[in-house]
Amino acid sequence: MKYPLASCLFGVLLAVFMGPSAGAAEESPVSPDDLVYCTVCHGMQLRGNRNIEAPRLSEMDAWYIEQQLVAFKNGWRGTHPQDLIGMEMRPMAAALNDTQIKAAAKFAQASRAPVPAATVDGDADAGRTHYSTCAACHGVDASGNEALGAPPLAGLNDWYLVRQLENFRDGVRGSHPDDLYGAQMRASAALLPDDQAIRDVVAYITSLQTN
Amino acid sequence: MDNLTRRRFLSLVGAAGGSSAVYKASMAMGLLADTGPMARLDIKSAGRGGKEVVILGAGLAGLTIAYELQRVGYNCTILEASHRVGGRSLTLRHGDVVDEMGYTQVCNFDDDPELFFNAGPARIPGHHRRVLHYCRELQVPLQVKANINRSAYVHESDHFGGKPVRLAEYVTDARGFLSELLYKAVDRNAFEQPLSEEDRVRLKELTQAFGDLDQDGLYKGSSRSGYKSGGFLGHGELKEPMEFGALLDSSFWRRGMAQSENFDWAEPLMEAVGGMDNIVKAFARQLKKPVVLKAQVQAVQLREDGVDVIYQHKGQRRKLAADYCFNSIPVHFMEGIPNNFSQDYRDALNAFERGNFFKIGLQMRERFWEREGIYGGITNTDQRINQIWYPSHGIHGSKGVVLGAYAFWNQSHFFERMTPEERIRYAADCGERIHPGYSDYIEAGVSVPWGRMNHMMGCGSRMTPENEERYFDRVRQPEGRHWMVGDQISYHSSWQEGALASAEYALNDFDQRARAAAAISSKG
Ligand SMILES: Cc1cc2nc3c(=O)[nH]c(=O)nc-3n(C[C@H](O)[C@H](O)[C@H](O)COP(=O)(O)OP(=O)(O)OC[C@H]3O[C@@H](n4cnc5c(N)ncnc54)[C@H](O)[C@@H]3O)c2cc1C
Ligand code: HEC
Ligand code: HEC
Repeated sequence: MKYPLASCLFGVLLAVFMGPSAGAAEESPVSPDDLVYCTVCHGMQLRGNRNIEAPRLSEMDAWYIEQQLVAFKNGWRGTHPQDLIGMEMRPMAAALNDTQIKAAAKFAQASRAPVPAATVDGDADAGRTHYSTCAACHGVDASGNEALGAPPLAGLNDWYLVRQLENFRDGVRGSHPDDLYGAQMRASAALLPDDQAIRDVVAYITSLQTN
Repeated sequence: MDNLTRRRFLSLVGAAGGSSAVYKASMAMGLLADTGPMARLDIKSAGRGGKEVVILGAGLAGLTIAYELQRVGYNCTILEASHRVGGRSLTLRHGDVVDEMGYTQVCNFDDDPELFFNAGPARIPGHHRRVLHYCRELQVPLQVKANINRSAYVHESDHFGGKPVRLAEYVTDARGFLSELLYKAVDRNAFEQPLSEEDRVRLKELTQAFGDLDQDGLYKGSSRSGYKSGGFLGHGELKEPMEFGALLDSSFWRRGMAQSENFDWAEPLMEAVGGMDNIVKAFARQLKKPVVLKAQVQAVQLREDGVDVIYQHKGQRRKLAADYCFNSIPVHFMEGIPNNFSQDYRDALNAFERGNFFKIGLQMRERFWEREGIYGGITNTDQRINQIWYPSHGIHGSKGVVLGAYAFWNQSHFFERMTPEERIRYAADCGERIHPGYSDYIEAGVSVPWGRMNHMMGCGSRMTPENEERYFDRVRQPEGRHWMVGDQISYHSSWQEGALASAEYALNDFDQRARAAAAISSKG
């Protein structure tokens, strides 16, 4: 029988599951009824799900979530012909009214989920150098700056950060004439010389969030 | 086939096509297993006190497992995130909600039981013995459903003047041309190994029969295409064969000509009378405990002697502690649902790729296709809608629901990115090129993009062949007392038979383990 072996294995796993980060679920708010569908793509407590390409939103600043829901709704994100993944998100934001946008942002900020594991292969040391220009807006610890509209980067999935930096670089994000925040970031992304620099800077950002 | 004739057959194939053809033919001859009716499952009774089983998802797989286990005394609870039972088995009728994320639609067909649309499964072939077993057992009435219809059309935008051609004509001419070529090759003995005189004669006869060639081995048209004129009160006059070059240039032979030869699509197919969801409804009626709807599973925690499931229901987070868990939630969601699975199991679950389908159903105010001699079946087009399906039921009634688009796999994204109104308009324009006046007949329409459906986000999950090799066996083995099930855990994903095969496998595996555990505890 497999059970005896399985059970001692699960004893160990269970301990891990009940550890500090996993208690998160209970500390998280119950999903508001009309926002359950956000969790279908973004995962429970909005923890992110790579299989859907939907990033972690848990614990993110409400002001930034609002900023992005408005950006999707206005068509600044998710309309560029190459932004196929953004198009998956766009109808969701388009269907929300202002009150719902606020509620969704609050829900995301209050949600708790473990900090995502690193998946991107980059050189954090090399990334640190690149990050010095980013720090002006996103802060040295990547905790963001609301006054500048620059979001915290810690706690986002690294694969999502890579895609956004590519999107900014390629003009897939931040090229709509009304998207002023996007335009600023687009100019900054242009400072990263190549794909390797993108991976390195993301590895550095990830190292900040796990510290 | 006895041994001698079988060997001769293979050597004939070898003479004509070389060794790879022989290999394929031998494979086909060896693959005659897995037929015959399904045996009723024999699961050991739960015994006194019962045991709690929690089933995640009320699709066909989940319902079947509940049905089988409650019969032998398990207390089964099905948690279903959606507002309805059935999962992908979805038949749309008047007033039904289409729960597409971002665009909730309400089906606006007339309130008439004949006017329905099978947005998910629509066809059952005779060898899907598990599906048929349960339809028999639960007395779900079935009827024959036309699939390939030789009177329906082949339409190609840039060939045959953009005009639809009857399937009969296309296929007959294609076979006629090919047969004529083969006849000539036999005549010239143009094979790697020489054929005996007797075999040459037979082969020529075979090509004549196959392609309806004349006595000189030439294809000059055939009554198999139907007549240009006459046939009843006057002599039937044959249609001129198409131009071979035009046929070669067209693409239907590549895309769809062999449709009816696909084992799962071969005639005759069946459907449930009144809508395919009558199968899942029949299961649901049997349940002692109704499915808990709008109960989204949010965490799965394995225990040493069971499984805890956290779910949200009526605005509250709840916990169900069960002895066993069967999980049919689409695998791509499991990464977003906290769990304490081992890394290798999670890797295996993440190795799946989401599949995708898209369908449109259109209510037509008149059954205009019947006036064109089309009764059921499918028209194929190279436009993005791919197909138009005509209903097999309600013949000569006043209205009918037609399938107005069926996109497969990545083709579906094109439609997903449109609003529901844009999709219907697009499908109407495509239909217009095949049936002039088509748009005017459309009274109502629904579109169902499976990649955007709530709690679903896809259909037909599959792995690459390498990952199948690596992970398939792992995903069908349980993780503790948790079994992953559904058509996704089969080599027949996007077929109900796959969902049932997976359910059967998991139940038998469960039973073997339960029996073994009972044997150990009775000894100790
Ligand atoms: C367009 C299309 C055409 C098809 N054509 C055919 C055909 O002609 N013939 C045929 O035999 N088959 C066909 N199929 C396939 C058939 O529909 C499926 O094989 C079958 O319905 C799968 O059943 P299942 O139980 O495995 O999964 P599903 O029906 O997908 O069930 C999974 C269930 O899990 C639920 N769920 C998801 N997340 C959660 C959560 N967090 N908590 C609780 N529940 C959750 C879902 O809501 C769903 O009800 C077709 C499918 C499609 C989409
Ligand atoms: C159909 C799947 C899906 C659903 C449902 C969905 N999202 Fe998204 N969402 C995505 C994807 C995919 C992305 C990533 C887009 C990209 O990479 O450009 C995304 C991105 C976002 C972002 C941008 C995050 C950032 O860091 O800039 C926000 C905010 C967001 N979603 C909020 C929501 C909210 C709130 C809901 C529910 C109202 C929701 N989403 C529902 C798929 C979905
Ligand atoms: C001039 C200020 C500024 C600088 C410098 C800057 N950013 Fe930004 N960044 C922004 C703003 C503003 C946004 C929000 C854009 C929007 O609203 O769409 C942003 C967004 C982002 C995002 C998207 C996050 C998300 O959740 O979608 C990433 C990733 C990012 N920045 C990384 C960087 C990196 C890496 C650097 C350094 C190379 C950098 N930024 C430099 C202002 C800046």
